[in-house]
Amino acid sequence: MTPPPVAPGTPPVLQLVGISKYFPGVIANEDVSLDVRSGEILALLGENGAGKSTLMNVVTGIYQADAGEMILDGYGARFSSPQEAIRARIGMVHQHFKLVPAFTVAENIHLGWADTPRNASPAILEARTRELSERFGFPVNPAARVEDLSAGEQQRVEILRVLARKARLLILDEPTAVLTPAEARDLFRALRAFRAEGNAVIIISHKLDEVMEISDRVTILRGGQKIGTWDTADCSPRMLAATMVGREIVRQNLLLRADGAAPRGTEAELSLRGVSVRDERGVETLADITLDIFGGEILGVAGVAGNGQRELTEVLTGLTIPTRGQVLLGGRSAEPGAAAFARHGVGHIPQDRLHSALAPSLGISDNMALREYGMPPIGGNGLYHADAALSLAREIADIAEVTIPDFAMPVRNLSGGNQQRLVARREIRIASRVLVAAYPSRGLDIGAIATMHRYFAELRDRGVGIVIVSEDLEELLNLSDRIGVLCHGRLMAVLDSAEADIERIGLLMGGRTDLPETGAETKI
Amino acid sequence: MRFQRFPTAPARLVLAWRAAALFAAALITGVLLALSGRDVFELLALVLKSTVGSRFGLEDLALFMIPLILTGSAVTVTSRIGLWNIGGEGQFYLGAIGAAGVGLYMPGPPILVLPAMAAAAMLCGVAWIAVPTFARAYAGVNEIITTLLLNFVAGLLTYWLATGPWRDRVTGALASTGRIPVAIPEIWGVVHWGFPVALLIACGLAVIMTRTSWGYEVRISGANPGAARYAGMPMRARVIAVMLLSGALAALAGMFEVAGTVHRLQGGMADNFGYLGIVVAVLARKSCLAVIPAALLMALILDAGIVLQTQQLAATVVLAITGLVLLLIAIGDELAHYRPVAPVVRPASPRLPPASKTTI
Repeated sequence: MTPPPVAPGTPPVLQLVGISKYFPGVIANEDVSLDVRSGEILALLGENGAGKSTLMNVVTGIYQADAGEMILDGYGARFSSPQEAIRARIGMVHQHFKLVPAFTVAENIHLGWADTPRNASPAILEARTRELSERFGFPVNPAARVEDLSAGEQQRVEILRVLARKARLLILDEPTAVLTPAEARDLFRALRAFRAEGNAVIIISHKLDEVMEISDRVTILRGGQKIGTWDTADCSPRMLAATMVGREIVRQNLLLRADGAAPRGTEAELSLRGVSVRDERGVETLADITLDIFGGEILGVAGVAGNGQRELTEVLTGLTIPTRGQVLLGGRSAEPGAAAFARHGVGHIPQDRLHSALAPSLGISDNMALREYGMPPIGGNGLYHADAALSLAREIADIAEVTIPDFAMPVRNLSGGNQQRLVARREIRIASRVLVAAYPSRGLDIGAIATMHRYFAELRDRGVGIVIVSEDLEELLNLSDRIGVLCHGRLMAVLDSAEADIERIGLLMGGRTDLPETGAETKI
Repeated sequence: MRFQRFPTAPARLVLAWRAAALFAAALITGVLLALSGRDVFELLALVLKSTVGSRFGLEDLALFMIPLILTGSAVTVTSRIGLWNIGGEGQFYLGAIGAAGVGLYMPGPPILVLPAMAAAAMLCGVAWIAVPTFARAYAGVNEIITTLLLNFVAGLLTYWLATGPWRDRVTGALASTGRIPVAIPEIWGVVHWGFPVALLIACGLAVIMTRTSWGYEVRISGANPGAARYAGMPMRARVIAVMLLSGALAALAGMFEVAGTVHRLQGGMADNFGYLGIVVAVLARKSCLAVIPAALLMALILDAGIVLQTQQLAATVVLAITGLVLLLIAIGDELAHYRPVAPVVRPASPRLPPASKTTI
């Protein structure tokens, strides 16, 4: 499907001229100019903190630009609220969906919408939703509650809500982050159909392959400034990556062991035996998982978010005690509790590290002592030696290559990326047996991801077992020796990554074990 | 020049803004008093003389500070773990009751009776906060409501004891027990040993919070319960310990008041010390050491209030002044979050550094 022809002289749907946006101490956008034409998909590419989200928040009226102009269809525009942007037919789908989980799909679609009929019954709302769903080609079940939907379905609701308000410019922030490969393909098909009607799309993404596949043009931001805009046809992923980071990224083969690396262990460091977990509602979130993690290997865990990953990492790190089954640490039944697991050499980079691995209002020293406060030199005899905590923090900051002006300052004053590096280094320090890392690259830019992956490879070469939970299959295939796939709390299979390919893993993620013809070990 | 709100307020700025707030409060009060025909300077001189300007004034200040330091500490320790003990008033009463019970009915030398009074007081205070504590730790019941409501029960219980079974049968004083035979020895005028003990307790709590692993766990649990869970800290045990400690501290204030200052159990004797402890804790901004200067400020306000009342100012006027001071300090604390940021200039050159570097 090619973009429809546009009459010459038609003004772009949206034109930004010299947009600047400043935050205290940070220049988020500086003199950014770009245009989006009708009937095109523009990819906005950039590292974390490059200013992509800020720029889009300016376009959708969440922020107001400090300088510069916004021109819609040839007329100047200025939005002082998101509502005004919606009236101007600009719609944004955020990375974190803004839906009411307890409401039905129909109610979410009609929430805060001037066209919603007054005193409408659920039946009327659902009929209207069904009609919208057919008109825009986004199949949804109007009566379903949003909390019962998968991430992909929730995204469809979100997009439909934007389209229902007659959006002509659709902005998507990392739309495929939570989707299975099949769902992502469905989304792209729908976006192409949307484009074919002369509408415009801006898609924010980190994923180069995706950008190559879906976009017509690419604009790259770096350090808040626009680096350039190219026709996607003239680009290669390699060139995009280098332009985005500002230097050539050397992709190492991380599966390759360094000389003198510890061999893969023969006895499991950490094992699960028939482990099941029920949540407080009695729903089984992990079902009968048997898994061994050996030293000197990286085990990837694939799956769409919400299929038991959180529970699996919590069981592996001692945070959750399984309802059934056994957790073995070094072959012996593990002493329960997260503190005991950490003491026995299990490090944990949690999914929401900024919220659960750090105490934001406390100082950096205090935060770096979190794993070692109980033992000398920081702890011992019930004491807490602040000076020892300080020198530990210096050591961690040093090795993480984070410059810190004042170790007593609250850790939340650091940027998110630096907080992550500190947490990663703190956990790697104690991970003498196993490191469990959930979504380690989430929220990091390409350069930081490469650093993080290097950490993992080094740790593996030291003989530590590493579990990486991720929804980025590319990342898993690049790093893992074996890949386990989770679906609905079950471990669908553990594949040697040599025999694993994206398509096969994608099917397993969707819960299908029957299709591939290769006779791989599939245990349930 | 543009001002921007920062998530943290440096101590230096907080102090500066608070000084400004106090000055503004004094100014507003002075103007209002002058408008109502008072001689402001005469009043000011009188207030200064009878608080910091004379020995009696200083003794009074110290006496006020004893319960304020303790009830302020009681609220501060719970705030460190992210909870609010609003029940200092009730625990104060229970401490007073426990102390008075022992003091009135246990014969013996003061060296034995006084520690027994303190122990009984703290036990009673712990018992009084036990229900809110366990309801919080095991059932997630909001401790603000439960501790607050128990204050009224404790207040009435004190009245009942002081007018009923324990009433003064000798002089027939209203809502009061008889005089307790033992008293905390005085060290300086009317100031008794409770004063240095209270100071020591505040300093000791500061050491515990910053120099023990127990205090570390409390601080982490308060700053982010998620991080405490992640690190495998025994959070429930810490919540229980901190709340019981808080109850004991407030109760000790009651004991000092009974055994050092009032020498009887009287209805209404807590005199809002429990609630003022909340104010002290807010002024101290979660620092156990800062409770001491905060208690001093509060004591100054209370003392000045009494002086003004002797000058035919209504008690409500004094309350209004207290409120004004606290309101302005609260505004000052908020303003301390604002700092000037460099005005926006379009940097022609050199070009800006990448954003990732500017965020520290």
